[in-house]
Amino acid sequence: MARLLRACALSIGVAAGVAAPRPAQADAQADEYRVKAAFLYKFGSYVEWPTGSFARADSPVTIGVMGADALADELAQIVAGRNVNGRPVLVRKLRPGDPIAGLHVLFIGRSDGRRLAEILAAARGQALLTVTESEEGLELGSMINFVVVEDKVRFDIAPPPSESSNLKISARLLGVARKVVSKSS
Amino acid sequence: MKLPSPRSLRQKLLGMMLVTTLVALIVALAAIIGYDLNAYHRILVSDMTTQAELLGRTIAPALAFDDARVAKENLSLLRFRPLVNSAAIYNARGALFATYVRKDDPHAFPKLPEPDSARVEQGDLVLFKRIVSDGEILGTVYLRADYELFDRVYDYLGIAGVVLIAAMLVALLMSSWMQNIVTRPILAIAQVAREVVGQRDYSRRAVKMSADEVGTLVDSFNDMLTEIDRRTGELEASNAKLAREAEERGRAEREILRLNTELEERVRERTAQLEAANRELESFSYSVSHDLRAPLRAIDGFGQALLEDFPEHLPGDAKRYLSRIRASTQHMAQLIEDLLNLARVSRGPLERRTVDLGQVARQVVGELQQREPGRAVEVSVWDGMPIEADPHLLRVALENLIGNAWKFTTKSAKPRIEIGALKDRGRSTFFVRDNGAGFDMAYADKLFGAFQRLHSTAEYAGTGIGLATVQRIVHRHGGRIWAEGEVGKGAVFFFTLATAAEEPSGAGPVREKAHG
Repeated sequence: MARLLRACALSIGVAAGVAAPRPAQADAQADEYRVKAAFLYKFGSYVEWPTGSFARADSPVTIGVMGADALADELAQIVAGRNVNGRPVLVRKLRPGDPIAGLHVLFIGRSDGRRLAEILAAARGQALLTVTESEEGLELGSMINFVVVEDKVRFDIAPPPSESSNLKISARLLGVARKVVSKSS
Repeated sequence: MKLPSPRSLRQKLLGMMLVTTLVALIVALAAIIGYDLNAYHRILVSDMTTQAELLGRTIAPALAFDDARVAKENLSLLRFRPLVNSAAIYNARGALFATYVRKDDPHAFPKLPEPDSARVEQGDLVLFKRIVSDGEILGTVYLRADYELFDRVYDYLGIAGVVLIAAMLVALLMSSWMQNIVTRPILAIAQVAREVVGQRDYSRRAVKMSADEVGTLVDSFNDMLTEIDRRTGELEASNAKLAREAEERGRAEREILRLNTELEERVRERTAQLEAANRELESFSYSVSHDLRAPLRAIDGFGQALLEDFPEHLPGDAKRYLSRIRASTQHMAQLIEDLLNLARVSRGPLERRTVDLGQVARQVVGELQQREPGRAVEVSVWDGMPIEADPHLLRVALENLIGNAWKFTTKSAKPRIEIGALKDRGRSTFFVRDNGAGFDMAYADKLFGAFQRLHSTAEYAGTGIGLATVQRIVHRHGGRIWAEGEVGKGAVFFFTLATAAEEPSGAGPVREKAHG
């Protein structure tokens, strides 16, 4: 029993990035990425994509990570052997400007506002969960935006309008968001 | 075996029905309560498991995104479940993540979560439920809820008690009403039976109220009564007959008794008459005998005078005739003398005295030897034979007995006479034995009758009155006399005398021979 618990704790601990010690400054950054990677993976469980988004019943959920390779690496580690809604998870590293077609989740790392706005505009209307970590992320059209409050990673959500996107974000996810923003667009 | 307490059938039946009802009720209530408590437990566990599952699903996002605040908010919704006293969420690492406590729950939270389980602990239901999502354990829900099974047990016991009392009351009413159906006919029979026994009135009959076994019982009972009635009647008739017979027998006995009394009275009268006649006869014969002696003496005397005074004038034949006349008159005188003796023996008072029988016997023997000195008879008389008797009568008796012996031994070669006594149990039996002519035992009973002779006068002289006289003397003394003998060998005469004390009539004469 205890051993099993410890095994579970270890696996999640690794996923949440509590395990391996690192130098102080780099540690804080790495921890944050690790938590964000875990969250990114878990968001998939609370989101419903339209049926046409997947080719087959066991087609993978593809997560694109743009401008955050460290996070992508963490995420790749986390999702190895894991499923989201019964589907395997695929992680793709993207450069700014890479095509975003075929993605289900898109994480955009910190970048300047103009670039962010472009990318988000391109994503608009597609069944694509967009996640950012910039202060103006939601204003620019992102659906989920990470924030750090009291050294803890939290997130805000702006549920996508039904006409522009066929994504459904679970109310349970909304329940744990720091705040839920209703966009006017 | 001890008999059960004397209760009526009604009470027994009532008790039986109540006990049956009670047992049935208890079993039914126990089954219902058992089932309900079991159901309560199952439903509570299932309810709480569902609650935990729901809670887990609600809290899963908070766990996933490490939001303890949301988790706490979610948990606080449990305030709408008053049953839940406390709850906690453990994260995947087994650390306490969020808690909920209804006010004043003193129980501490477990340090580590446990796998899925539900158990009762200190009156609470303790439940662990894992939160699993996509095959991953996100954490564990811990719930501690009121387990009200024991309260329910107490409630149920109360309810059961009330139900039991109510049901028993209803059962009491119902059974006391219904048992009438069964007991009334039986009690009616019992009543009739009591009356029959109490009043001995076998003409009563029980009323048949039903056609069941009790009805059969009533029929049998009535048949039995009929039979008893009949038998009683017969018995009474037979008793009456017996009583009548007994009465008749009694009457007959009384009649017989009366007749007997009459008869005795008549016998007494006749006896008195006979005694009077007898006395007259004796008196007459005594007078006659007495009066006959004077003429006889005259005949004998004058015959003797003739012979002595005129011996030369009388021819030989005349002398011979005269001698015959004299012999006959002497014989007749002797006869008369004996008759008078016999009569005298019966008359007059008895004067008992202690006499030596041997001495009297020797005197008698002496007289006999004097009379016939030519005879040589060996006489032995035993010494010391005291006897209580009238000396005169004893002498008469011995004269006769010894005289007989003397007489009947005349033809014996060596005549011998023995006079002695045999002692038997303090009583003396005297005997006179001789070896003379003896007698035939076939005539032993005739020996003592008057004028009964076993030998002719020609053979042995005698009047035939001697032994009758002896017997009368012995009888007067309350004694007995008997004889043994054999022809040609001799005879023995035995006699006993009662002492004065033994003789009921004392020294007086024998009653039937008494002269007033």
